[in-house]
Amino acid sequence: MKKIRFRAGWPIGRWLAVFGLSFAVATQALGAAPYYEGKAIEVIIPFPVAGGSDIWIRTITPYLDKRIPGTPKFNFRNIGGGRGIPGMMEFAVKAKPDGLMLLVSSATNYFPVLLGDKAAKYDFRQWKPLLVNPVGGVMYASPAAGIKRVEDLAKAKNLIYGGISAIGLDLIPLISFELLEMDAKGVLGFRGRGEARIAFERGETNIDYQTTPAYNATVVPLIQEGKAIPLMSFGQLDDSGNIVRDPAVPDLPTVPEVYEKIKGKKPSGKFWETYKVFMPSAFAVQKILWVKADAPAEVLRVFYAAADQLGKDKDFLTKTDKVLGGYPLLRGDRLEKTIQQAFQIDAETQRFVREWVGKKYRVKLD
Amino acid sequence: MWDAALIALERFANPHHMAMLMAGVLAGTVIGILPGLGGIACVAILLPFIYTMDVHSAMVLLVGSLAVVHTSDTITSVLIGTPGSAAAAATILDGHPLAKQGQAGRALSAAFLSSMIGGLIGALFLTLSLPIARPLVLLFGSPELLMLCVLGLSFAGFLTGGAPLKGGLSACLGLLLGSVGSAPADAVDRYTFDQLYLLDGVPLVGVALGVFGIAEIIDLLAKGGQIAERINLGHGWLQGVRDVIQHWGIVVRGSLIGVWAGILPGIGATAGSWMAYGHVVAMARDRERFGKGDIRGVIGPESANNSVEAGDFIPTLLFSVPGGAPSAILLGALFFYGIQPGPRMVQENLDLIFTIIWSFAIANTIGAALCLFLSPALARLTWIPFARLAPAIVVTIFFGAFQSSQNFGDIYAMLGLGLLGWLMKQLGWPRAPFLVGFVLTKPTEQYLWLSISRYGMEWLSRPGVIVLGLLLLASIYWCIRGKSGGKEIPAEESGEGTAVLGKVPSVLFTSFVLLVVAAALYESRSFPYLGAIFPMAATIPAVFMAVAQLVLELRATRTAPGIETRPKTKLILGYFLSLVLFLLLILLLGFGIATALFTFVFLYGWVRTGWLYALIYTGSVVGVTLLMSQLLALYWPQGILLG
Repeated sequence: MKKIRFRAGWPIGRWLAVFGLSFAVATQALGAAPYYEGKAIEVIIPFPVAGGSDIWIRTITPYLDKRIPGTPKFNFRNIGGGRGIPGMMEFAVKAKPDGLMLLVSSATNYFPVLLGDKAAKYDFRQWKPLLVNPVGGVMYASPAAGIKRVEDLAKAKNLIYGGISAIGLDLIPLISFELLEMDAKGVLGFRGRGEARIAFERGETNIDYQTTPAYNATVVPLIQEGKAIPLMSFGQLDDSGNIVRDPAVPDLPTVPEVYEKIKGKKPSGKFWETYKVFMPSAFAVQKILWVKADAPAEVLRVFYAAADQLGKDKDFLTKTDKVLGGYPLLRGDRLEKTIQQAFQIDAETQRFVREWVGKKYRVKLD
Repeated sequence: MWDAALIALERFANPHHMAMLMAGVLAGTVIGILPGLGGIACVAILLPFIYTMDVHSAMVLLVGSLAVVHTSDTITSVLIGTPGSAAAAATILDGHPLAKQGQAGRALSAAFLSSMIGGLIGALFLTLSLPIARPLVLLFGSPELLMLCVLGLSFAGFLTGGAPLKGGLSACLGLLLGSVGSAPADAVDRYTFDQLYLLDGVPLVGVALGVFGIAEIIDLLAKGGQIAERINLGHGWLQGVRDVIQHWGIVVRGSLIGVWAGILPGIGATAGSWMAYGHVVAMARDRERFGKGDIRGVIGPESANNSVEAGDFIPTLLFSVPGGAPSAILLGALFFYGIQPGPRMVQENLDLIFTIIWSFAIANTIGAALCLFLSPALARLTWIPFARLAPAIVVTIFFGAFQSSQNFGDIYAMLGLGLLGWLMKQLGWPRAPFLVGFVLTKPTEQYLWLSISRYGMEWLSRPGVIVLGLLLLASIYWCIRGKSGGKEIPAEESGEGTAVLGKVPSVLFTSFVLLVVAAALYESRSFPYLGAIFPMAATIPAVFMAVAQLVLELRATRTAPGIETRPKTKLILGYFLSLVLFLLLILLLGFGIATALFTFVFLYGWVRTGWLYALIYTGSVVGVTLLMSQLLALYWPQGILLG
């Protein structure tokens, strides 16, 4: 048998060539080191700790990091206050095109843009959505207000709704009241939807909405006790951007369906235009994880792949069901067009909404 | 129901559960002691660890830590006069003077014992009220909640000491600071000067740390020496136990006030402990010693601030409405395990509720015992020359203020309010009403807003409102009678040494206050109707009071300030500037380097310790803060020059 011998006589250049070649072969065979190997991702959360978006991202990342090659470490930075604007600006200014800084956003961050708030100088068109989570909303009323079925809304008198702020998510129910020409007024200033629901249970208000998970846990028992009547959902978007029934509550009609039922025609007019602009960003694409648009293609690819894997993971789906609200965690690229459309508003609708909240709810927008 | 309670209790026979509980208790104790860090920091640090646990272990860990934060935060309040967390500010008023008199052991043991009993009463109340909690919570509408807040505000009247005018002004300033930011329904931004930072108002942590913490630190530094004379602690801690037994009524009432402050949305631990303090003063026959080291002033707020957390579990678990940020995180953790709290919780997850209650009760007891065990050693901290403690305390205070919103605005606010607090202290302006006014502005305004927009003026005729209104009148009558009946309470801590500041600064300060309130009043004209009520309610009486105060001061005879006034004032300014310098260093060089420089220069250059001592001290301070930054995922912006 021939002995393997170390070829000491080779010049250094040949050694390097062999080394280079074998390295190239090895990386070809094993695949390049994953992009996120040994790296940390910083997630900007433009809200204080324990808000809805904060809990959302903190709940999904323990599953997400394992599905991303290189298992990066996720660090969170909550930049609360200032209607979320400081946090959004931090991302807009500081994020580099390396995919190491991400941003979580929610409806609170979209409305200043839609309403033309000058302090909100961020532009969603420069970012790409990685993950999207829709949320749904369901309206219900008190039988004490003389409502037994949704059709009774047309003749119900003195409906009182408890909300947080006219330029937050409450804008959607408030617009719905105008669209359906209901005799309803909003009492604003509650600290959260939970407190507004307590006011409903107490009889201080008689019409309310909750997001679908909160609705299932806290309102369905009230319905069973006969203390609440389910009315309608705000709807979700289908692939071509039409408002359709919410898969989480498929038995309930959407707001435009109720309009047809009451008025006998398709919805139209200024309030309908407003509803169509604001509903998607408030609910259908509510929670979004963003990256800078010029991030490496691999960043996008690994996140989309992770989303696909999570969609099939039983453990993830059961454990996070309550946080995701019964909706799938969607790949950003599938919804990119819808999302970018959702943040567009024509000048006329914007002027109309600003005037309306200013007059009816005394909101002063600069 | 009792079966579930026993099953839950059995779990604690499992060493794993007990280990979790101990881990939680230790974390809570340490975080509570650090100034400015409270329940939120606690849960935020522990949260990453729970993802691999089952729901019961996770709850044991989280609840265990939350239950002791308000026990151990007393230590900092009593010993250093700096609130361990915002809710412990009320304990400073009497606890810190006691420590200065060498009675730290007594104050601490009384505080821990009443904290523990308060927590246990809270847990018991929580258990008993499970079947009736829902209707109980639904009993209170916005108008009734409004009246409760106003009642709480009226307690500020009892905290004005011997200076009703200054106290009233102080409360008005608190209200004014509280109304900075968006009005409750977002209709208008008030006093924000186009600063995004001010949109949500100034955070409570910054206010409490500034008005009490910074002011006290500067004062202690200027005084020199140690906090208390080195005297034998003796059986001070036994005296504390005897005090609690003697004043058991205060403990029970304080706990019940705390539980209610927790159950009702929007009140919270800080307001709860102030209400408990106010009620102790209001109900006392002799009020002379309050603010100068009356043990009752320690027992009242301490029995309240633990039971608040117990009360807070009721809306969190039965309505899915968290009362504060710690319970909001707890709620998030429950979501993670697929549990959505709500009306079904009592039927479906009763054993989990009992796991939480037992964890709370057991952790409370262990935490109090642990603190009691530590207190003789900790009380010795008051014998160390304060200048040697100061760098570590300053660094933690900056750290604590920054962690709530990770915004430098918090540190600016803290330093500014620190100067204000120090001036108030020197000029005999009580600071307690300021904090009470600040804490209660937001909920009072919110409920006023809701009551008026829901009921118009009808809310005044609701039976609950009338009952609470009568209680309010009684409280005001009591307060005035107490004052005129010769039961004068001297201003807090005024008896100590000569006032550093004389007549001229006094007049200048009052003029400045007059200017601020007048400007605020002028500005409030432009606010819409509901948004203007609060700024006007605060500023209109304040203008009159400030004018009256100014007249009084101008007519007063010129009191001769102490001989060393001038050098002392200079010294104080120097210390304050060193804090500002620390902030500038952070901005320029980043937090790590700035901390190292500040600590070392302060110790070696100013206190003149040996270089090795200074070096080891600096190393440990930097090490601990960097470790904490890592645990809290706290982000410090890089310095402008380095980074």
